[in-house]
Amino acid sequence: MKGLTRSPAGRVGVGRETLSVWQLVELARHQDRPYFLDYMARLAPDFVELHGDRLSADDPALVAGIGTWHGRTALLMGNQKGRNLSDRLRRNWGMMHPEGYRKAIRLAHQAAKFGFPIVCLVDTPGAYPGAGAEERGIAAAIAGAILEWFTIPVPVVACIIGEGGSGGALGLAVADRVLMMENSIYSVASPEAAASIVWRDNARKVEAAEQLQITSRDLLAMGVVDEVIPEPEGGAHLDYDAAAQALDAALMRALQPLLEEDPKVLLERRYERYRYIDSLIGAAEHFGPKVGVPNESPDSVG
Amino acid sequence: MPSGGLPLIPLPTNCPGCGVGLDVEERRAHAYVCTCGHHFRMGADAWIALLADPGSWQERWSDIRPHDLLDWKRPKPYEDTIEAARDDGLNEAVRTGRATIDGRAVWLAVFDFRFVGGTLSIVAGERLARGLEASAGSGVPYVLVTASGGARMQEGVLALMQLAKVNGAVGRLHASRTPYISILTDPTFGGVSASLALMADVNIAEPGAAIGFTGARVIKQATYADLPKGFQSAEFQLAHGQVDMVVPRTELRRGLAQLLELYR
Repeated sequence: MKGLTRSPAGRVGVGRETLSVWQLVELARHQDRPYFLDYMARLAPDFVELHGDRLSADDPALVAGIGTWHGRTALLMGNQKGRNLSDRLRRNWGMMHPEGYRKAIRLAHQAAKFGFPIVCLVDTPGAYPGAGAEERGIAAAIAGAILEWFTIPVPVVACIIGEGGSGGALGLAVADRVLMMENSIYSVASPEAAASIVWRDNARKVEAAEQLQITSRDLLAMGVVDEVIPEPEGGAHLDYDAAAQALDAALMRALQPLLEEDPKVLLERRYERYRYIDSLIGAAEHFGPKVGVPNESPDSVG
Repeated sequence: MPSGGLPLIPLPTNCPGCGVGLDVEERRAHAYVCTCGHHFRMGADAWIALLADPGSWQERWSDIRPHDLLDWKRPKPYEDTIEAARDDGLNEAVRTGRATIDGRAVWLAVFDFRFVGGTLSIVAGERLARGLEASAGSGVPYVLVTASGGARMQEGVLALMQLAKVNGAVGRLHASRTPYISILTDPTFGGVSASLALMADVNIAEPGAAIGFTGARVIKQATYADLPKGFQSAEFQLAHGQVDMVVPRTELRRGLAQLLELYR
């Protein structure tokens, strides 16, 4: 395979209509978009939130807990953005501090103890870019989380439900299967940050977004995500129930084959998923073939 | 420390630390550290010359080349960015290979800030992962020198995926009980500090090096915060528990030899 083909003029097909990449970014950030707790109310109504990293604090930008999902207990976690100003302040716009990543890993180890599968719903612009986060070791918290996910011997399925921004998102998305809601984005840096880095001007965010290839179609083509979940016409914010139903079915479809997997094989494949994740698009001739990764992928959309 | 052998690095006329006039030859003989303690940045070639015993460096995978997988055109085509760096005689943001340090075998990986800001790319990640896997497989200690602005924008989310790729390999290194020493130099940020840089058995920072996740400029823009003097310096990171020690470059080789002996 030689490179990726770009859709003309930075436009991508979404469902039955065509949107610009920037319109998609705005959809992913839509203030009425369903958040983690909206999905939990529909996927696992008996969800019980568990708080704290057992070191110093609880991070409200990440909600985590256990609930019954398809007849079994699962660890369910995800970023929560706020709906109104006070809520947004409390949730910090879904931007985690170090305590959030430490809470995630504490509970991941707990899930391993009980054999609970793990579902992570990612919706963050990125980790919090503040002095306090730096003082309390945000870099090591993210790095440690990424490292620890490779040792959690239970199935992990992640889905980008809105924004998947940078290392802050990846700290919650090292999984056996990674899915994306159709109108979500996943990027090395937010378009604004990327524009600020390459143009030294974050007003070039639209151009940056178009070049970064951050749409669900792009990510599917690159092999970074395994499945794109179609959203209700016009976007998930117009029909929470239908969006939740589609998410629920896709998560279960991704999880099912993992439940029977030997934990050793599971961890081996998780390692290989990321070890050779860049081998798909034209790089194979330079890096060697994608080794040991099963070719069969869940039913893909698109 | 070795007295010559380091490549010539262009220095400013006066030291930004103390203002004294600089003699390049003299600074070269002192590993590009000023008498005031200011550490000048060094490229991968200088780091290899400083740390590896003479004649011991055996570079690996230098033939892996970056590619413009995203068809990146603005403000500058990625292909031109790569070509310009290559014209300067640089070979990607990470170089890796086998060497000995004071007679002890190591895998050595060195970032080069001059190559697109030392950014973590697919090639950089691939060289790191291969070295980490080889180190884990052989039990030969892994020594890393970082200098990076983070992940490379022009490779998009595939650059982000390198954080997972290399940290998976770091996990295997630790599981194999192989020693891992990380030397953090100015600057180390973003996707590199949030992946392998701080995950070593011993994190060593250079005096005055800026180390963090988000750069100070962005923090100020995002939060309007006044940042204290020395924010994100090596000494700040020592005080906040992120590094084990701050070691002057002139004492680094000796310190490394001692650590390699203790972790043998």
